Parts: sequence; C-alpha cells; structure tokens
Amino acid sequence: MATVRIPTPLRTLTGGEDQVQAAGDTVKDVIETLEKNHPGIRERLLDEKGVRRFVNIYVGDEDIRFLDGLATALKATDEISIVPAIAGG
Amino acid sequence: MSTSSPERDALQHKSALVVGVGGLGCPVALALAEAGLGRIVLCDDDLVDSTNLHRQILFDEADVGTDKLQAAERALYRLGARPGSIELVRSRFLPDNARELARSVDVVIEGADNFATKFLCADACFLEQRPVVHGAAVRLCATVLCVAATGAPCYRCLFEDLPTGAAAPNCAEAGVLGPVVGFAGALMADRALSVLLGEQSVFGNLVRFDGKTDRARELTLTARPRCALCSSERSIATISYDRYTAASCAA
Repeated sequence: MATVRIPTPLRTLTGGEDQVQAAGDTVKDVIETLEKNHPGIRERLLDEKGVRRFVNIYVGDEDIRFLDGLATALKATDEISIVPAIAGG
Repeated sequence: MSTSSPERDALQHKSALVVGVGGLGCPVALALAEAGLGRIVLCDDDLVDSTNLHRQILFDEADVGTDKLQAAERALYRLGARPGSIELVRSRFLPDNARELARSVDVVIEGADNFATKFLCADACFLEQRPVVHGAAVRLCATVLCVAATGAPCYRCLFEDLPTGAAAPNCAEAGVLGPVVGFAGALMADRALSVLLGEQSVFGNLVRFDGKTDRARELTLTARPRCALCSSERSIATISYDRYTAASCAA
C-alpha cells in the first residue's frame, strides 16, 4: 500500500492524521481509496478535468504531471505527497 | 554573519521589497535589517490589530490601532536597521504599482495572505526580471519557494492560476501558529539573502514545513512546458486587473 502524506489543510478529512496508507495500482486508484476511507477528499484534489490546478501531487520527488498523471503506476513502497497552494501569514 | 564581514559589506548596497508586513513580513524585515541590508522597502496599508500580536513580532500592545508601516519602521531602527535603510510604501501591492515596485529593488519577498497578490508578485517579478521569494503559512503548514529572475520554474509552474470561487481553499477561519510563521519568515529571509549574495542553488526548490511533525521537506520543481508565465509559449506579457480578481484567502 502506498503512503500518502496529508497536508495540513486536508487533515480535517483524515481525522487529523498527517499520513495514511491507501491501496491502489495507480494514483487515481489511491485517490479512490482515500475517498472511501475519508469522504470528501477527492473533491479537494480533483475536478472534472483532473487534478485541480492549485494542487500538485508527487510520487516520491516526481510531479505526476511529468509522469503519467493520474494513471501513474505505483509500487507498494511509494510515497505520495499532496501539495496544495496556500496563502496566509 | 558577523557585524563586519564581506557579506555584510556587500548587503549594504542591496535592496529588497517586503510585500506585506504581517506574520511573514515582520520576521523577514527584521532579519534583513539585522543583516545590514542597505534598503528595505516595506509595502502595506494596514493598521496593527491585537489579533496580529502573537505572530507579527515587530509590534506590541502600544502599536495596536496604529499604522503598521510606522510601527515596523520604529521597531526596525530600534533593533539595528541601518540608518535611512527603511522605505515605506503605504499601499497594497497592486496591478498599478507592481512592476514599478519590483523594478526598484534587487529581490522581492512576498508573504501575502491572498492568492491574487501572490500571482501578481509572480507575474510582475518575471516581467521585470527580478528574483522573488514566495512564502505562505496556514495553521501548521508553511511553504517557501524561491524563483530566479529568469523564472522557470516559477510560481505558476507550481500553481497555474488563482483558485476560483467554491474551489478556493477556505483559510479565512484557519488561523496560523506563530512559530510556524516565524520558521517560514526566517527561511524566506535566508533565501533572499542568499539570492542577494549570488547563490543560485536556492532557486526552484519548494520547502514545506509541517508544524505538527516539525519536519521540513524540499521538492525540486520542474518548469511546466506550457507555463503561461515563464515558458516559450507564455501568454502573460502585461499586468491586467482582471487576472487577479479571484477570492482572497486571508488567514
């Protein structure tokens, strides 16, 4: 199962957890697993066109936009990071 | 950096624009002043509020209700800023003044609390070929990104455009933890000073700090091939108001 690092703005959906495990062969599958376990998270990440333009998803250090997007294949040891835009200070 | 060093001598001839004298802008301005920067331009139009005091470290109770710029100037000179080094711009960073302000300094440092200003900073700095340090902090999370004068990768490579309407993250009620802001502000100042001293390795790396785990992670960005700002296919060649009118996101 992949490890998904949850950024602060989304932790209200994961019960405060900063890291969760999610099964899936691709990034899209993992997001679907996240949605089953933490309803509402998919809408924060995706819109009708794909990954929301103010959200970035990385597998390891690689932005999935430069891999296969949501179809990026995953290994069990992969770590997924979600990087949303934030504004505040 | 000691009070007398080649770096400090070099910095007395350098300048920086601090966009927003808030939670991020205060530690940034303080660090730049104590490093001996020759000219620090502070841009804000707000008054000090009591809710600011836990994280806006240049202000105290006596400043509540007063002009932020004047309070910041007093504090910075009291804490060691070079005489005459503080310049005040009593305005928001706006489409009307963005390019002129960016052009007037060697580096821009933005800790804006809204996406419109962040994207405006990115665009103005690219058009004026100025390096920019973007910082943000919400709740327990902070990010710092340093972009070279030539752009690529730039802020729009990471976040293409303003979040719109219902899609905008709601951070109006999120708040932010003082030490998280302090960490981000210190890192922003560190990056800016590195830029001013000619360091190239700081560009294009996004640092994310998690105040819950106290861990910082760094990601190396890749320039977006069709970035509207910094790619060969760029479509942004001017600053126009209608590009910066999405929902704000004040913490």
